[in-house]
Amino acid sequence: MSSVYKPMILELNNICFSYIKGISFIENLSFSIGEGEFIGLLGANGSGKSTILKLGNRILKSSSGDLKLWGKDIYKYSNKDRAKLICYLPQTLDINVPFRVRELVSMGLYPYDIPPAMSADDALELVGLKDKATSYLTDLSGGERRRTFIAMTLLQGAGLLLLDEPLANLDIKYQIELVRLLRKLKEKRNISVVMALHDINIALQFEKVMLIKDGKTLGIGKPEIVLTDAMLREAFDVNIEIKKSETGNTYISYENNF
Amino acid sequence: MKIRMIIIILILMLIFGISLILGPRIINPFFMDEISKEILFSIRAPRSIVAILMGMALGASGAVLQGILRNPLADPYILGISSGASLLAALGIIGGMTIFGTFTVPVLAFIGAVATGSIVGMMGWRKGGFWPERLLLAGVGLSFLFSALLMLMMSISTDEGMRKAMLWIFGDLSMSEWSRIPYGLIFVAAGVVISASRAKALNALILGDEFAHSLGFSPHRERFILFISVGLMTAASVSLGGMIGFIGLLIPHMIRFFIGSDSRVLIPASALGGGALLCIADLISRSILPPMELPAGVITAIIGSPYFLYLLRRKNVLSI
Amino acid sequence: MKKLIILFLLFTIHYSLFTPAQAAEAPKRIISLAPSMTEILFALGLEDRIVGVTSFCDFPEEAKKKQKIGGMSNPSLEAVVSLKPDIVTMTTDGNPKEFEERLRSLKIKTYVFRARQIPELAQGIREMGLALGIKEKADALAKDMETSIDKLKQRRSSIKKKKVLFIVWPDPLIVAGPGSITDNAITIAGGENIAAESKSSYPKYSIEEVIHQAPDIIFIGRGMSQENIREVSKGILKRLKSVPAVKNKKVFYVSDYLYRLGPRTVKGVEELAGYMEQQR
Repeated sequence: MSSVYKPMILELNNICFSYIKGISFIENLSFSIGEGEFIGLLGANGSGKSTILKLGNRILKSSSGDLKLWGKDIYKYSNKDRAKLICYLPQTLDINVPFRVRELVSMGLYPYDIPPAMSADDALELVGLKDKATSYLTDLSGGERRRTFIAMTLLQGAGLLLLDEPLANLDIKYQIELVRLLRKLKEKRNISVVMALHDINIALQFEKVMLIKDGKTLGIGKPEIVLTDAMLREAFDVNIEIKKSETGNTYISYENNF
Repeated sequence: MKIRMIIIILILMLIFGISLILGPRIINPFFMDEISKEILFSIRAPRSIVAILMGMALGASGAVLQGILRNPLADPYILGISSGASLLAALGIIGGMTIFGTFTVPVLAFIGAVATGSIVGMMGWRKGGFWPERLLLAGVGLSFLFSALLMLMMSISTDEGMRKAMLWIFGDLSMSEWSRIPYGLIFVAAGVVISASRAKALNALILGDEFAHSLGFSPHRERFILFISVGLMTAASVSLGGMIGFIGLLIPHMIRFFIGSDSRVLIPASALGGGALLCIADLISRSILPPMELPAGVITAIIGSPYFLYLLRRKNVLSI
Repeated sequence: MKKLIILFLLFTIHYSLFTPAQAAEAPKRIISLAPSMTEILFALGLEDRIVGVTSFCDFPEEAKKKQKIGGMSNPSLEAVVSLKPDIVTMTTDGNPKEFEERLRSLKIKTYVFRARQIPELAQGIREMGLALGIKEKADALAKDMETSIDKLKQRRSSIKKKKVLFIVWPDPLIVAGPGSITDNAITIAGGENIAAESKSSYPKYSIEEVIHQAPDIIFIGRGMSQENIREVSKGILKRLKSVPAVKNKKVFYVSDYLYRLGPRTVKGVEELAGYMEQQR
């Protein structure tokens, strides 16, 4: 039986990084993500989630270690080629820009000299914002704004999305909506996602999670294995219990703290 | 979209034509005597062309700067380029220099503009990045310094010298002539072409550095290139005819109102709109109190301020 | 006793009819706040009594050696007061009014020279002569000026009126308009100032308008920078090449006598008249 070698989209090997000289922040970080994989990046504020995502997209430069995109050193790609493969969406999308939804989504085409087959309207359809094509970004809700940017990444054709806390400040209804959308895109377009979050309940829904504290990985793998009471306590510094309900659903409880 | 661009181009051409015919006296292009021909070709035509060139430079620069600095109140003079130019020009005027013949004052202004722009540009770089906040601070700081030096110079000069310097600084298109146009044209065209070619990058920069990066641009490098294009255009504009305010600030907002904010359209449209506005302002400045000529900068401010306040009321937030 | 009282009353009434500026004895320490004033004071032979001048007072040569008290629009109050003047002479054209009020509130005598145009000059000198206790010299100077001007007026009646433009500065184009000394001079010398319809005395003028008006003679004042005025004028003369004055080579560079209303002003008028009479 031959084993099929599945190339990893993004591979980080022993990445080190520090914001301030002499004080290392990220040490020997290694992980990889393949096609169609969803990884939830979980940790407290300041634990290094954003840093890791930015390192993954080359916004920040690591001081040592190597970074491979589809098996090739990421620095060997031109900016445009890299943009066709990975996207990064920052945490705050609260930007006061005068663009309309369709204009914004169309920016996804910028890395391309020859536009791909997909159109802005197709992308808007996929994320469910077709009727908002001519609205101004400032007139949309938080959730709609994020979906607009997701549509932009679709047009960019990137296979890997690095999303920095995309669920922050959204009502739970829209959080769920967004995760569902990402899953739908995974089915249709086989995208991969690394998403930074700090809602543990949602992290439990991912096939793979990475738990971070102070720039160091506490664990990578299935949530059942990585997100134990002990690990979560270490990561978040409070008592957290993983419980199972009668219907077999896993959820967390903070009761022990009060 | 294309239709609106064509409309703007037509408006510009119409205004150019009107500026040749009107003026303190109306010249009928079909019945021109020697004197009228002289006036039309040697005086009015170069003057209107210079006005259009300056307006194009200022309009495009305003659009680019408002994007780079992500500030709806940015205008080309915010970076201090014009203060440096005015200082050196005033020095030339008050000191009565003629090193470059009749080109002395424009050349001095250009040198002043480029020197100041270079200093500001250098100060904008830090740790491998070209930062908009640093640009802004450096520009404002130098602006204050040069303005103070300018005031110092004027307070020790004669009333006559001061008046001459002020007339130049407030915008003086009266000495426009054909020989100055090629130089102006080169720099303005270069600036508009460079910035229009980076329009996509500018759109991305407006979203933010991280987005720009994600879309495949190098934000610091793009910002730098755009800054250089603004520097060239502003230097050309100030050296052609002094400081004429409001166009860089106002025109991009007007264009956004009528056409939209996509830089690929905004930059060329702002250039055209700026050219049209300054051409009209110049026409008014020489026709309203004949035979005197008012500084064009005064007219643009008088037209510009109320319209700006009006725009502020129409759009609740004056976003870029 | 009654006679004494009446005499006393008459004396006080008579005394109060004098203007405050009339000193019983001539002031010994005079400060001038304008170059034109300085020139007049020197011409009246008051050189030794002048204790302070402005930094712009450069004629005659000796004036430069006098103590400086600042500029015309911003003289230094301290400098003036520290020189303990008996009287401060100033003009209405260039010196700030507030300064005069300040001096008076400090009980320093001032004399304001009110003449601003050539026709008023002679009388102005006479009045100032009276105030400074130098009546005879002043009258003589005034008479001199009046005679010269009359002579010029006579000459002009025999010449045809020519259209004249006086360029004060070529770049930007600033010309002598109505109410300026130069405008007076042009009229006295028998010319017609094409800029006479302007709204101010030294307007920034439209080049188009000059071409339209087609002046016969153009004067260009040398101003401060004597050497390179020709250089600076090249541009404007090129633009005006179709105008009769330029075509017929009737462009004359004149000295700055007409920039100050003083003893040299008449020379300035004569200079203009001289050029205008040339038949070439």
